[in-house]
Amino acid sequence: MRVIVYFIVAIGLIWVGVLESTSSSVEDFRRYSDDHVLDDRTRSIQRVLAVGLVGDLVVSKIISDGRDTVITEGNEEFSLPSPAFSGNLGASK
Amino acid sequence: MLGLESFSGLTKQIQLACLVSTAQKLAIMFFFAALTYGVTGVGAMLLMTLLANTHLGKDGSGKHGISIAESSRLGGVAIAIIVIVYIAGLSLMSPYTSGPERDDTFLYLWCAVLFCCLLGLAEDVKPDFLTPMLRLGAKFAVLGCLFWLSPRLIPLSIGFYAVDLLLNVPIIGWALVTVFAVGFINALNMADGANGLVPGIALASFAVFFMEYGRPMDGALLFACSIFFIFNVISGWYFLGDTGSYGLGAILLSYGLLGVTDGHFSAGFMAALFCYPCVDFMVSVVRRLRAGQSPFSADNGHLHNRLHHFIKLRVKSSVMANSFTGLIISGSTSGAVLLVYLFDILPSESGLWYILFIVEVLVYLATLKYLTSIQPKTQYANPA
Repeated sequence: MRVIVYFIVAIGLIWVGVLESTSSSVEDFRRYSDDHVLDDRTRSIQRVLAVGLVGDLVVSKIISDGRDTVITEGNEEFSLPSPAFSGNLGASK
Repeated sequence: MLGLESFSGLTKQIQLACLVSTAQKLAIMFFFAALTYGVTGVGAMLLMTLLANTHLGKDGSGKHGISIAESSRLGGVAIAIIVIVYIAGLSLMSPYTSGPERDDTFLYLWCAVLFCCLLGLAEDVKPDFLTPMLRLGAKFAVLGCLFWLSPRLIPLSIGFYAVDLLLNVPIIGWALVTVFAVGFINALNMADGANGLVPGIALASFAVFFMEYGRPMDGALLFACSIFFIFNVISGWYFLGDTGSYGLGAILLSYGLLGVTDGHFSAGFMAALFCYPCVDFMVSVVRRLRAGQSPFSADNGHLHNRLHHFIKLRVKSSVMANSFTGLIISGSTSGAVLLVYLFDILPSESGLWYILFIVEVLVYLATLKYLTSIQPKTQYANPA
């Protein structure tokens, strides 16, 4: 019984990283589409605690590459207000 | 009576020393996991620790490679669970669209990887459940189907005129790549004999793929392999098992082929990156045939066996000797390629990577020749 609890705790701790990655990704996308700024997100203590020093680099890389992925794949769930982005979206379709 | 009491006291002291040693190892492993991957790394390390202590998939001492301690074969299962949890979470809660949803090639690729993992899992949970010939046939069938359905994975140019001519004939190209793919997966399985050897090669490879492409799947695999690498090298309680070696073999093979066909990497780059498993496999087959043995029979003439024998005479701890062996081999082959790539000394699509590959092969052969000359003759076992 105790082992099952430990397994749940382990999966829960891994989910901390998942939540941090997804929230960073969505937050980055909002800022990117609103401000059109391609700056790297400053390293927060919260993210370093959640995903560690190497994990922080991994998440940053996923997010920065994800910007391109979202645009080239033309994900329709996300609105891209800038006409420049709309142009890219249309070209990829 | 006094003798019995002193014996009991000695046993308790040994048990206490083992407990302290285990606690120290756990503390070091969790420290490195927390440092590299934070709370998430601690969760992954906890999951691996729990799986390593289950009764399922236990390997007796001396049964696996050069290890002399009882260990778990569920390392591949642990990596698979971590990657699935991570990718499922990303797919559900972020704009990430996984490869199989976007592209048919990735769909077939991951189906083949899943099949290879299940094939290995059957062997890990119940050894000798499938005969070696059946496993081999199943691998040929699934990889043959993969390359038939996704001809995009078959490279048309690897830099050698005669081979390129053959690869450009569709049926011959398909047959050659299928044979190579089955050989590669078996080679990786055969090389999985020292702590940190195959995990080190996988870690370096996923680091390269992640830096090149930045795909979340590569990031998840890099994360899971890093934690497994830390666990495997420090404790020696875990092996990849057939699930891990078949699964990681299929992933590395497919990513490598895809990288070469898309022109992001040269065939020489991949040859240098995966030099050890491929060369060790070829040399082992030749050695066995020259000795009049079956190419499938196990022996202790691999470079990692020889190197371990050399190191263990000079290092007190058996785990350290095992881990040093794996780290030296993976670090001097795939690790060296990672460093050259990281510092951008050579472009990844350059044909000059073949020079590094040739250097690796020469060092392998020279080291093996020297160690064979100073050590006892190779012993062969009949195939299971």
